[in-house]
Amino acid sequence: MNEFKVDLSNCDIEPIHILGKIQSHGFLVAINNKTQVISYISENVNLLIKDKAQNYIGKTFETLEQQIDFNISGAHLTINQLVTIGSNGREPEINNPLYLEINKIPYYLIVTLSGEDKLLEFEPIDSDLKTDLNHTIGRSMSGILSAKNLDSMLQITADEIKKIINYDRVMVYKFSEEGHGKILAEAKIDILDPFLGLHYPASDIPKQARELYKRNLTRIIADVNSVDSSILALPDHQPLNLTHSNLRAVSPIHIQYLRNMGVVSSFSISLISGGELWGLIVCHNYKPRFINYKAREASKLLGQVLSSALEHRQGEEDSEIFLSYNENVNDLIDYLEKDDDVTVALTASKISLKDVTAATGVALIFEGKITTVGITPSEKQIEEIADWLKINMSETIYHTHRFPQIYLPAVNYCHSASGLLACSLSKELGEFILWFKPEQINQISWAGNPEKALEKGKDGIMQLNPRKSFESWTDIVKNTSGRWNRAEVSAVINLREHITYIIIRKANEIRRLNELLKQSAEELNIFSYTVTHDLRTPLSAIKSYSELLLINNKSIDEQAKKVLTRITACADKMALLIKEILNYSNLGKADIEVHNLEMNVMINMIKTDVLEGLQPQNIEFEIGETPSIVGDSNLINQVFTNLISNAVKYSSKSNPSKVSINGVKKGEDVIYTITDNGIGIDDKYHNLVFDLFKRMDNVKDFEGTGVGLAIVKRIMEKHNGKVWFESKLELGTKFYLSFKCPH
Amino acid sequence: MLNTDIFFVEDDTDFAYIMETAVQELTEPTSLQIIDNGKEAISILHQLAEIKQKPKLILLDLNLPGISGIEILKEIRDNIYLRYVPVVLFSTSAEPKDIKLSLQFGANAYVTKPSSYLDLIICLQSFSDFWLHQNACLN
Repeated sequence: MNEFKVDLSNCDIEPIHILGKIQSHGFLVAINNKTQVISYISENVNLLIKDKAQNYIGKTFETLEQQIDFNISGAHLTINQLVTIGSNGREPEINNPLYLEINKIPYYLIVTLSGEDKLLEFEPIDSDLKTDLNHTIGRSMSGILSAKNLDSMLQITADEIKKIINYDRVMVYKFSEEGHGKILAEAKIDILDPFLGLHYPASDIPKQARELYKRNLTRIIADVNSVDSSILALPDHQPLNLTHSNLRAVSPIHIQYLRNMGVVSSFSISLISGGELWGLIVCHNYKPRFINYKAREASKLLGQVLSSALEHRQGEEDSEIFLSYNENVNDLIDYLEKDDDVTVALTASKISLKDVTAATGVALIFEGKITTVGITPSEKQIEEIADWLKINMSETIYHTHRFPQIYLPAVNYCHSASGLLACSLSKELGEFILWFKPEQINQISWAGNPEKALEKGKDGIMQLNPRKSFESWTDIVKNTSGRWNRAEVSAVINLREHITYIIIRKANEIRRLNELLKQSAEELNIFSYTVTHDLRTPLSAIKSYSELLLINNKSIDEQAKKVLTRITACADKMALLIKEILNYSNLGKADIEVHNLEMNVMINMIKTDVLEGLQPQNIEFEIGETPSIVGDSNLINQVFTNLISNAVKYSSKSNPSKVSINGVKKGEDVIYTITDNGIGIDDKYHNLVFDLFKRMDNVKDFEGTGVGLAIVKRIMEKHNGKVWFESKLELGTKFYLSFKCPH
Repeated sequence: MLNTDIFFVEDDTDFAYIMETAVQELTEPTSLQIIDNGKEAISILHQLAEIKQKPKLILLDLNLPGISGIEILKEIRDNIYLRYVPVVLFSTSAEPKDIKLSLQFGANAYVTKPSSYLDLIICLQSFSDFWLHQNACLN
């Protein structure tokens, strides 16, 4: 009747609802609703009637009934009457189970519909369960419903089911979106190894089995070692659909699967949430075990209670997670508002970017810097990911739970980054936030003996074993992380909005400051120009008028002459100051033109100029080595001129005044020293020497503006060189100039 | 208005006065005409061109209110009659870009104004010596 052969390649299309067999602890008879004849009958009915089952195919049910010595609770009713009354033709399940005795043995009769047929299943009433269900079930329910969270609800359910049906192991098993299973709660006898937390591949429970689990909410396999009983059918009849059957035989693959795990008897209850199979309560026993219909129904009820609570709880927990992510987002926004440094705000506090998702690590790539929290790939790997995202990310948010399968280099660090949630802050600048989830693979130690050699059945169909399916599962989940859920993604979207807003606001602030800076630089330029022109013009007029008076007016007295000379001197001093300020401010704009400079020539010329200008008395001027340097001839000339004239000026009161210049090549650098034996610089002014307009209190008698050394410093900086000095009050000063050598 | 030696456009009355005084110190008697704004300078220069009278040297202050020294320079170089008159830009500023611009538009020289009366006399003396006596003109 059923020619289907199962092997690895087709086990997920095995027609398990029409296997044509039942488990042999009960009997099955199907009666056609219209003709009232027996259309299907299980072979093992012969145990009941001591006659061959096939003799009753096509006969009326009365024919069979007459052969059975049965007693229905003392009522003088036939089975046929009982079923008809109970079912009212349409919903026979309502009165299930019907109690009856056959040959003095009590049975439950369970009636269901299958197409045009009414299924009569006779099951032993003699359960391995002695508990008074009515007493315990209410308490179990309130226990389940009082659980504080989902995890404890599942655990309480496992415990309560264990109490009611007393299997060796009761597990609550949840399906992932891909159909893989994970054991979330477990109640077991002590001697068994725990399975809690273990994963099972989707292939362990094929698609069509899941369909059945959705429609028929409990499933018992009393003894994997019992021999199934075939179902006989009327000639030309389709195989009987056993979807709603309680006795339906089990796929040989599933039997093998259980055997490999050492499980002898199993019972499962479906958990449905949102119309989908959420999971299963799976009960295993290591010896044959049968629980009767009433016990199964009680368990089913608990399953349904859990199912409806699940939906509610799951929603509640989702929104709790949602709220907690968003609370963290709000904290981060607060930090961002308070801290100018975006990176510090997002990564340095107790709540960080990591806490807006269930990621185990996060990387922030911002302003050319990578900052990580938690477990992440290396900086270089993160850089490469960012480069890849720059090209491949089209939206502002991208997430995957199998990153290494999309971006191959990630295979090398799948343990830290099998899941990626990327949020781009600025794609152009390559600024991203990357959240990482680790590979979710867990090594599973199987109960029983997974390594056990495959026992190939005579029919050659026992090819699949749990070990193999485990391997196939690891292949599937390799390089895969837990999924990114809605709460995580929406928290990230929310956070991104705020970060970009704050970045833009800060960028605008910088732009505004830039604008101000530009404006003031422009003003400074205008100012310099004003200084040159508008200040110099009246100044030279003042000077010229004084001179004019002095030259052309022969009648003015000595006193007036002295005043006019002072006016001219003041005008000169002011003109010098203006010139120096201009020089200094012009340095900012000037581009330097570097050449190889013959310093010997330059220094000698400067010496001549300075000595001519300052006319020092009694000076010993010494020029030592003068290695050539690279620089802008005018600017370097200014540096040496300023320092040499300072040296001459400030040593002019020493007798004799000694000034020496010397250059040495030192590795990559050329260092010049300009030494004098002048008045020196007080220690307390050491940090002020190069500041604009700063003059020491011991130089009052010397002419100067306080700009010269500031110019020197600025020019040296423009040449990537350095200037510093050593000085002792009253003993003299030694200035150092260090230039980078040309290559 | 006849036979102007130096035609000087200068808005600063102080400097103009000092110039007038300084010119009198020159070894050769020199006539100096000072105009204090660009607009008037241009109109006078056009009148001079019409009556075929060329100054021997035109001195232009760079920074003038309204029309600048460079604008006047352009007018001079655009005028067929005045085109070859030597023009010297005479300014307090020694900004390279000002110098470059002046020369680009055809100034014969760019001289920074001396800030002292004595220096100014020396400067004017050299103007006189060179531009009024040594320089070959198309007069």
